[in-house]
Amino acid sequence: MSSKTTSYIIKRIILALVTIWVVMTVTFFVMHFIPGGPFTSEKAVSPSVQAAMEAKYGLDKPLLQQYATYMKGIITQFDFGPSIKQKGRQVVDIIFDGFRTSFKLGVLAAAWGAMAGVVLGAVAALKRNTVIDRIIMVIATAFISMPGFIVGSLMLLVFAVQLRWVPANGSTAAGLILPVIALGLSPMANITRLTRSSMLDVLGQDYIRTAKAKGVSGTKTIFGHALKNALIPVITYIGPMLAYIVTGSLVIEQIFAVPGIGRYFVSSIINRDYPMVMGTTIILAVLIVIMNLISDILYKVVDPRIDFQ
Amino acid sequence: MKKFVALLLAAVMVLSLAACGGNGGNGGGSSADKTSINVCIASEPQSLDPALNSAVDGATMLVHLFSGLAKWTKNGDAYEIVADMAEELVDPVDNGDGTFTYTYKIRDAKWSDGEPVKAADFEYGWKRATSAEISADYYYMFEYVDGFEELPALADNKLNVKAVDDKTLEVTTTGQYPFWNELLAFPTYFPVREDKVDDEGTWATDPSTYVSNGMYTLASWEHNSLITLEKNPNHPDADEVTMDVINFYLSDDANNMLSNFKNGDWLLIDDVPTNEIATLKEEYPTEFKVDGQIGTYYVCWNINEDISPAGKELSEQDKAKIRNAIALLFDRNYIVEEIGQAGQVPASSFVAMGITEPDGDQFYQQAGGGPGFDYGYYAVDKDSMQSNLDLAMDILDDYYTVQDGKLTDFPVMTYLYNTSEGHKAIGEYLQSCLANIGITMNLENQEWATFLETRKNGDYSIARNGWLADYNDAISFLDMWTSGSGNNDVQFGKGDHAKEAIYDLDLSGVKGYEDKGGSGTWADTYDKVIGYIKTEQDLDVRNDLMHCAEDLLMTTGCICPLYYYTDLYMLSDKVNGFFAMPLGYKYFMYTTVSE
Repeated sequence: MSSKTTSYIIKRIILALVTIWVVMTVTFFVMHFIPGGPFTSEKAVSPSVQAAMEAKYGLDKPLLQQYATYMKGIITQFDFGPSIKQKGRQVVDIIFDGFRTSFKLGVLAAAWGAMAGVVLGAVAALKRNTVIDRIIMVIATAFISMPGFIVGSLMLLVFAVQLRWVPANGSTAAGLILPVIALGLSPMANITRLTRSSMLDVLGQDYIRTAKAKGVSGTKTIFGHALKNALIPVITYIGPMLAYIVTGSLVIEQIFAVPGIGRYFVSSIINRDYPMVMGTTIILAVLIVIMNLISDILYKVVDPRIDFQ
Repeated sequence: MKKFVALLLAAVMVLSLAACGGNGGNGGGSSADKTSINVCIASEPQSLDPALNSAVDGATMLVHLFSGLAKWTKNGDAYEIVADMAEELVDPVDNGDGTFTYTYKIRDAKWSDGEPVKAADFEYGWKRATSAEISADYYYMFEYVDGFEELPALADNKLNVKAVDDKTLEVTTTGQYPFWNELLAFPTYFPVREDKVDDEGTWATDPSTYVSNGMYTLASWEHNSLITLEKNPNHPDADEVTMDVINFYLSDDANNMLSNFKNGDWLLIDDVPTNEIATLKEEYPTEFKVDGQIGTYYVCWNINEDISPAGKELSEQDKAKIRNAIALLFDRNYIVEEIGQAGQVPASSFVAMGITEPDGDQFYQQAGGGPGFDYGYYAVDKDSMQSNLDLAMDILDDYYTVQDGKLTDFPVMTYLYNTSEGHKAIGEYLQSCLANIGITMNLENQEWATFLETRKNGDYSIARNGWLADYNDAISFLDMWTSGSGNNDVQFGKGDHAKEAIYDLDLSGVKGYEDKGGSGTWADTYDKVIGYIKTEQDLDVRNDLMHCAEDLLMTTGCICPLYYYTDLYMLSDKVNGFFAMPLGYKYFMYTTVSE
């Protein structure tokens, strides 16, 4: 790795840390400014319970002091604090539990989505304007425009309720089959389109013509030259997509009752479970930053012409 | 060709999931000789520590995991309280100073770790539940026990409950309460082990540290996914328990629950998608269940909201009449039949159906009464709609300008509700009723916690509201409206209303209280009668006082009851021996599943 690359990566890491810090700070203050609190409930808790609980979780302190305590806990001990709603559980444990499931789901979905997408996209480009191309593009367009909850619900209805091939509950291994397929459909469709257009672009380049003119075999032209270069925009897409997909798709997890992390992004805010709000936001921010960084570095691997500045 | 290869690859990958699925493979499958049932009542419970839980789903699991001094059973159609860890539910000894002492003998029983259940476990559990260390939401359930204080430190807790020896528990109450035995069956009253629990409730999140004394033990807990209870063979009543394993699947998505019910995996689901209710009732006539639930859905007014026509200032008495007149405009039968569709019962009083009097009568059927209706505060039968409407217009005509049957100078109001299709539909119906007589009411929805905060602070004019009882006594509906109560969303006795000395507390018909009524502010009247109720020992007199309190409450017109709640769930026909309590608890221990 050249020193230029190293210094670029270091620069990016520093920038990433600043980004995460900004996200944390903004989230921390914004969440405290929305009305209601973790102890707001239909049956009001007595003032003495409220006061005792606020003292217990440090919510009785001035906001700046709470912020300082929280940041200190994170930096010095990686301590995200206890969940206020799920009594007796630490935010780190809850997130880790959910993340494990979401990760498994996300990686499998992204893997099949990416592989199928690249292959379908490449085939569509090579068979451009044929029936095969049209069919592939219709499928891709359909899955881009169809929201996950429709595809998910339909699959649930057909495969779990009518045919009973798989369970409707995502907490078992067999129950993960449908959510993996459903979650991978939209990335698959996007990647198909991206690969196709980028492949078409590359196939029109001079060096491909040169390769063909030199008598390089068709397979080698496609895999050795065209596809490799056509994947650059796909990689940009895959990075952030992976972060989102791995942190859980709320809709898909909800439909299939998958015990992942997705639900916490919404439920923690509804419950005003402050430590959970922070925990989920931080993990999403960190993942997106890391995935972006990785995809930037991958550019270099795929295309040596790219120069880190 | 490549496309096929890719698809094949994807398919192989997806199928291989089954192999790498990890620990989730127990999908409720039963081993050969054990019976099991898969159910879903809610998502992850807030806590399975009996003192820290304050939700109905947690309570359902806790009544399986723990045994208190008493428990609920169903005998024919009646629910009754019977002794559980206590040998019998004894009568108290009158101490002559207003307090009563109960002495319970504890049965021979074991905790799930094999230790014997002792009276001291109850003493500790009760004191812990009322101590500052854990600051439980439901600490006030012990307010009837002598020595109760607002969250003292555990070491200083003077709650008058004492383990005389391992087998004898002595508890003194501040009076004789009709619902005392019910309290003994309430999860907050369950025993816990001093050597096993902690203040945060961490012990109750992991089966390896969870120790309970009930009919079941916590066998496993995959957070957010599945809680498995297994029969405790050491429980003294183990031979009554017919179900070996209960799998509580954790989900809060009604559509997913329904899918699992339809494909036969889950035999009970405690929620159904609102828009499917009508279809489900037809498709599953025997499996779609509607049970009673003690609660009231109502509309509440902010008492400090000015509803005077422009240029006039109406007195609080006038405003009360107007609000009561507006309550007559709504067709409650339409709401329950066309909108709710779940067997709800039109309500004409605040204390809900299901609350009983000392003699066993329904409290709501003894409340109010007036011309043309036997009970309640208005006539809510179908035939009375027109006469209600005429009566309402007569009253409103006295205060507002009416042209062509429409009020022209009623101020614009906003109806506040929490975001939900069901609440919205009801809001729209109320809106249309008011529009018919010229009143403009806008609808505003807020997200749950924001809504609660807004309503509690009184930053609204009229709002959706609902209340579910914790125990079967009318006081659980009445003491929430005292001026100092945290649930006093109407703002009685707060702000400008604190100065309104217009209320008459008429106790002339109540034995011993004939001259204890009087008039004055909300605090002088309503707070006073609630105080009387809390100290009165004669159950019939106390019951009369509660009716007086509700009468006074309903004169304000600030509470506009719409319907009494019901509990909706789907239960497979394969399940026998199941029952649910009006307080919402569901009992699976006596079930069997036929194939």
